[in-house]
Amino acid sequence: MSRSTNAIGKYYVYGSTLISAFIVFLIFTILLINSWDAINIIGLDLFSLDWNPANGEFGLISMLYGTAVVTIIAMILAVPLGIYAAVFTSEILPDKYRFVVKSILELLAGIPSIIFGLIGVAFLSIWFQDLFDLQSGRTLLTAGVLLSIMILPTIITLTDDALHNIPEKYRETAKGLGLYNFEIIKGILMPIAKRDVKSAILLAFGRALGETMAVMLVIGSIDKLPSPLFNWLSPGQTITSKLGREIAETSLGSVHFSAMIFMGLLLFSVVLLLTVLSQRFTSRSYRLYE
Amino acid sequence: MNRKLNLGLWIIIGLLITSCNKKEAISISGSTTVLPIISIAAENFRKSNPELNIIVNEGGSGVGVNQLGEGKIDIGMVSRDITKEEIEEFPEVDFRPLSIGKDAVVPVISSEIFDAGITSLTLEEIAKIYKGEIQNWKELGGPDKEILVIDKEASRGTRHVFMEMVLGDKEAVAKGADLVLGSNNEEQTAIVQSDAAIGMLSNAWLNDDVRGLSIKMSSGELIKPSLKNILNNKFPITRDLLIVTNGEPNGDVKKFIDYLMGDDGQKIVEEAGYVKIH
Repeated sequence: MSRSTNAIGKYYVYGSTLISAFIVFLIFTILLINSWDAINIIGLDLFSLDWNPANGEFGLISMLYGTAVVTIIAMILAVPLGIYAAVFTSEILPDKYRFVVKSILELLAGIPSIIFGLIGVAFLSIWFQDLFDLQSGRTLLTAGVLLSIMILPTIITLTDDALHNIPEKYRETAKGLGLYNFEIIKGILMPIAKRDVKSAILLAFGRALGETMAVMLVIGSIDKLPSPLFNWLSPGQTITSKLGREIAETSLGSVHFSAMIFMGLLLFSVVLLLTVLSQRFTSRSYRLYE
Repeated sequence: MNRKLNLGLWIIIGLLITSCNKKEAISISGSTTVLPIISIAAENFRKSNPELNIIVNEGGSGVGVNQLGEGKIDIGMVSRDITKEEIEEFPEVDFRPLSIGKDAVVPVISSEIFDAGITSLTLEEIAKIYKGEIQNWKELGGPDKEILVIDKEASRGTRHVFMEMVLGDKEAVAKGADLVLGSNNEEQTAIVQSDAAIGMLSNAWLNDDVRGLSIKMSSGELIKPSLKNILNNKFPITRDLLIVTNGEPNGDVKKFIDYLMGDDGQKIVEEAGYVKIH
């Protein structure tokens, strides 16, 4: 390789990194500038109950609540299931089958969310309607369950990679000490893979939080808190479903638009905060020598 | 490796440059009520004008007005009147609405309720349902089932027309609503899936599973949502289906609009289930 191609390669890599970082910064700035009107004019009333742009009411509580509930349901269902499934594919399943299972899972991760949404509307919501004898199957729980299915492949394949990347010598040594398979997984492999599993969960969390299309179709899209508050079998609204349904109706520069952008800013900040926190408090690596 | 990357870059740049030279296109967006007419008309129109691209999107009447105001589209499909606020919002835009057909917004219910005997309601009864004052079909003489009240997104044309007549204000809040949906399609699906739902739909979207209610007038007369009653304005919730342009249409846009207003275009309006205007 000549000196010039080397230099091109170097700037290419630097450039790509800088561009990515710059785009994140740019998005944040744009969101902040555009939501300034809302922060200024509506202020603390943003955190009230009623949403009715025609009367100048922009309360986000029901959307924040919906986002939190749906994400929590999805994470509660998907995280344990995903991690156990990954332990199975990586540690128990013979290698030749692992490849097949993993390919299928990765395919699953690539299915467009609108397809999940259509399945949700056509089947899942009907099942929930019949199962719980509901008025309508479009509920917070339906959305949460659908989301958990959508983020499951992400958790499984990334956790599986994390486990599989641990060098064979750890397992051999542990076996040599006479440990059972279960003890090896629990006491040795999981602690080593912990950091990567955490980032897998974080990535899945980000997807759950930001998923729009599928959630929008099954959640019922009503800006109301359920009553009683923990009745998750009632329709609701998330930030993303609200944005998806209403952003095109707002005109650029109006307070309505600004309030919508403010929701986007909140979502962005939550993901940013979580990423920073998880990096700050990541436990030290358990890898000994490699 | 580098050479390959650079080659890739050049290919992408090349594609970008060539894609800028695209064909002339008319872009249209807005109401899902007007959509069936326009999408079929666009398809037929292109058969005789293959050099012209017509891009049709949906999103609701509010989206149609907004995008036209922002200059993103050439024609907005709108199934309600353009509001004062919208005109004030885009002072530099000269909205020119043109009616291509007539339609009714019909209160619709699940076929189970219809078959159980509720085939007509007064406007007051419908208003009470949407306000949340009537919550069970029993109170209206139907089966003992809670009513699933389906509302629409705030800027949808169908909702404006419906709420104007029923609650007296096009942006009225429906306190009794259980679900808020968007397009006619979505609303239709939700009503089919439920056995105790009430909603609002354009006349062309009724079928065996989604039954249109007759409206009981104060005189006791029952008015069916039939094409005849829409044509003679007897049905209380009727509206014009509009296409809106910015200023006087010209060029390809005018050609397309002339096609819509001509015999072929009006036939499409009729086939889509609406009433033609001449």
